[in-house]
Amino acid sequence: MSAKAVSCTIKSPVALQIGDVVSDSSRPGVYITDITLAEPVNIQEISFKNYYTAYLTVRLQRREDGSSSKWVTCLRNYCLMSNPHAEAGSHDYFSIYRQQMSTEPDNVTTVRLILRQPSSEWLNFSIQEINIYPCAKEDSERDVPVWLSTLTPVDEPLDLNGLPDPETVSSSIQQMWALTEMMQASQTAASIGRFDVEGSYDVKLLSYT
Amino acid sequence: MAEKRRVGVEIMCDSKSAKADGDKEFLSQTGVSALLRGALLKLLESRPEDPVGFLAEHFGHLSSEADDGGAEHQSVSRALWHLSLAHHSQRSAFNNNVRVAYELLTQGVPRRLSGGVHGRLYSEMLRCLCSEGGLSGSTAAPLLRRIQSHDYEAVPFELFRQGVLTCAVFADYIRKSQCLYAAVASAPDRPAERTLCQAVLSTLREALETADGTDVARYLEASAKISPAKVAQAMAEAHPRAQRQDGPTMDAQEFEDAAAALFIARVRIVT
Repeated sequence: MSAKAVSCTIKSPVALQIGDVVSDSSRPGVYITDITLAEPVNIQEISFKNYYTAYLTVRLQRREDGSSSKWVTCLRNYCLMSNPHAEAGSHDYFSIYRQQMSTEPDNVTTVRLILRQPSSEWLNFSIQEINIYPCAKEDSERDVPVWLSTLTPVDEPLDLNGLPDPETVSSSIQQMWALTEMMQASQTAASIGRFDVEGSYDVKLLSYT
Repeated sequence: MAEKRRVGVEIMCDSKSAKADGDKEFLSQTGVSALLRGALLKLLESRPEDPVGFLAEHFGHLSSEADDGGAEHQSVSRALWHLSLAHHSQRSAFNNNVRVAYELLTQGVPRRLSGGVHGRLYSEMLRCLCSEGGLSGSTAAPLLRRIQSHDYEAVPFELFRQGVLTCAVFADYIRKSQCLYAAVASAPDRPAERTLCQAVLSTLREALETADGTDVARYLEASAKISPAKVAQAMAEAHPRAQRQDGPTMDAQEFEDAAAALFIARVRIVT
């Protein structure tokens, strides 16, 4: 499905650290990235490119009825790198579908991605190229023309006793239709210029004929 | 040059090449080879059943053209003969013949009109075309009212071609509608049921009225409407089993007029 990604604002990741951010020199192991959506969306898919993130938790803020928003966790500690110290999965592309989520991602206003990397090997970790795809709406499918849907033959066989042969009749009608279409296609815009007087219409002539 | 030819003709038993030269020059001077080539091309285009008769007519026309320069009624009949050579489905041959006919008619008038064919000649051509196509006066009249011109008007080539093509196609159309009536009528001597005729005609009308979309989409949709299954369905609906007895009938002429009306409604009126 080639649904277009929803436009969203991705905020810069915030590190979760114990202690003072400025003075403490240890590197953070958790980043949180918020993505705000312009309008509530039913999410079909979230795709992204990994950069050394080991585990991902996804939380959604849903707009419930009565304009109250609720945070739910739809994906907990999803493993992106099987061994956090190794390279496997560190640069992979991932897609998370709504079927994998534990709650229905409907009417979502904000998506919060919690990135964890317990290994001290890596200087930085993040995820990039985040795209959120909405559910395809039913009416956005291209309409099937009416005549196509009536092409399948009727289930019950028609009682054609005493009726003329439909093949012969249809063939004659087709030829007559083709002749008329051909005549129409060959019509030109050429004119005799019956109502032209020196290149323009004369009102008196038009009213007499 | 003349000397050489005389020599070639007189001294027959002399060198064969001399005789051949003389013959070749004779042919090229009189233009007979071009004549024969044109005649053969026309023969191939029209493929008549009687080639000798066709060639006789062809040369007869050529000679009368050369003699007269064309009296008017003769030019119309000659133009008609040219148009009868190719069916309108043989597109390039038909167009060639239309062009030849047009040239014949424009040069037939002593005072050459700058616009094209004389209106009277054009109308007469169309009338003759319709009657040669087997159309009765009453069937052709509505069509002619739409496309013929006043006597004093001059008809340009495009309009001439369109009118001629329309008459030829209309003649075929009426023939087809007669076949259709024969198919709808259950027996050759009995008239067809009115409901059946109306169902068949309305299927055709619906297909013709397919309006929107590109050409391809229109053709596909229209052909879906006139497929055998659809036609069978329409006929079964119009003539259900319980009522398959003698109901009101429609005779052949009425059917033909109704079918003709469908065609003529789509012919552009000449202005």
